Amino acid sequence: MYVYLYDNFLSNKKFDAIVKSMEVRLTDYGIAGKILRLNNFIDVKPIIEDEIRRGATTIVIVGNDRTFGNVLSRSATCKVTFGFLPVGTENTIADVLGIPANVESCDVLSRRLRERLDVGWVNNRYFVSQLHVYPSKIEIEYDEKFRVGSVNELEIVVCNLQPFFWQTDKKDRNQVMVNPKDGKLEAFLRPAKKKKWFGGYNYEQASVFPFEEMIIRSKDAFSVEADGKKTKEKKIKIKLAPSRIDMVVGRGRKF
Amino acid sequence: MFQKPSSDIALEKNLEKEHSSTNTSNSDDNVDTVVGPSVNVEGDFSSAGNIVVKGSVSGNVSTSKHLLVEEGAKIMANVQSGSATISGMVKGNMKIKDTLILTSSAKVLGDIKVKILQVDAGAIMQGKIMMGASSELSEKAVSGRATLKKREKTD
Repeated sequence: MYVYLYDNFLSNKKFDAIVKSMEVRLTDYGIAGKILRLNNFIDVKPIIEDEIRRGATTIVIVGNDRTFGNVLSRSATCKVTFGFLPVGTENTIADVLGIPANVESCDVLSRRLRERLDVGWVNNRYFVSQLHVYPSKIEIEYDEKFRVGSVNELEIVVCNLQPFFWQTDKKDRNQVMVNPKDGKLEAFLRPAKKKKWFGGYNYEQASVFPFEEMIIRSKDAFSVEADGKKTKEKKIKIKLAPSRIDMVVGRGRKF
Repeated sequence: MFQKPSSDIALEKNLEKEHSSTNTSNSDDNVDTVVGPSVNVEGDFSSAGNIVVKGSVSGNVSTSKHLLVEEGAKIMANVQSGSATISGMVKGNMKIKDTLILTSSAKVLGDIKVKILQVDAGAIMQGKIMMGASSELSEKAVSGRATLKKREKTD
């Protein structure tokens, strides 16, 4: 049995036509199912667990990168197959998973090609797409082996599924694609100097460290954003939870 | 209308979207480890993939693949790698399985054990160099001596 989790933004009239044509396509394939609409105040995990008890075999997330992160960061422990139907813009994760946007994504779902994906773990919760530590005076310890520090403030982005692009300047067009199944997380860190005028930062060249475990410490609290959720922390421990999510992926996946 | 520019990298995505079709380096096997300039690494530093050092590392560096030490970069301990290109400074012993290239700006203060060595004019080296078959022979000789000693002890 399939259960579809629709993001709140899909109730916008703009997406009516796309959603309807997707529902028709899913009915044609015989994989239409129960539809649940999410909003900002719903905790997804108990809902998914309830549906699994009622016999759900596949939970399908319908929305964009933000929906994907919100649902999977809370329900990565649920033992069920997940699917993803990307709608609209802001769909970088779907690209990595080889799932085309809008109606064509139903074809990928019907083929049911499955892969197990790695998930990141930070201070007792999971993150699926990206973790971002904003520029602050921090010290980093990797795999309990070596420490990284800088005279300036450091900004860190830990990538799992969502690709991260960095540029040293506007001419730099080098993009790095992150492989979600390589058994490691990738941390991009770059020293940042505050600009004298108009705020903001001047960034220096980035460093890249693949890792399995990382501890970030600071004397003062620094802000962390994981899957769109912002918190202030003094110490965070980031780990890799390998092969945690069973996911329906496309043939054109980038891993 | 006049928003304060935030430090969020996501802002750069607009630029990236423009360039997304232009150039993408897809790392199939693994992302290279890069130690950027003005970043200091302390402790033993090992990686399964290639390593690029642009800053300073004070601790042993080891990889089974390629090590690139760029001009102005520093490594202050022993180095072990599959192959290496040095343009910066290494203060410690180097053990390279395959090829070691020292460019004109390279400075190595320590012993080198390597199969193939290429040195450009201007490179500075201070220490012993053991190359190719001789280094293998010397290893065999050492292991041979050890077995002889063991036999003598058992007799």
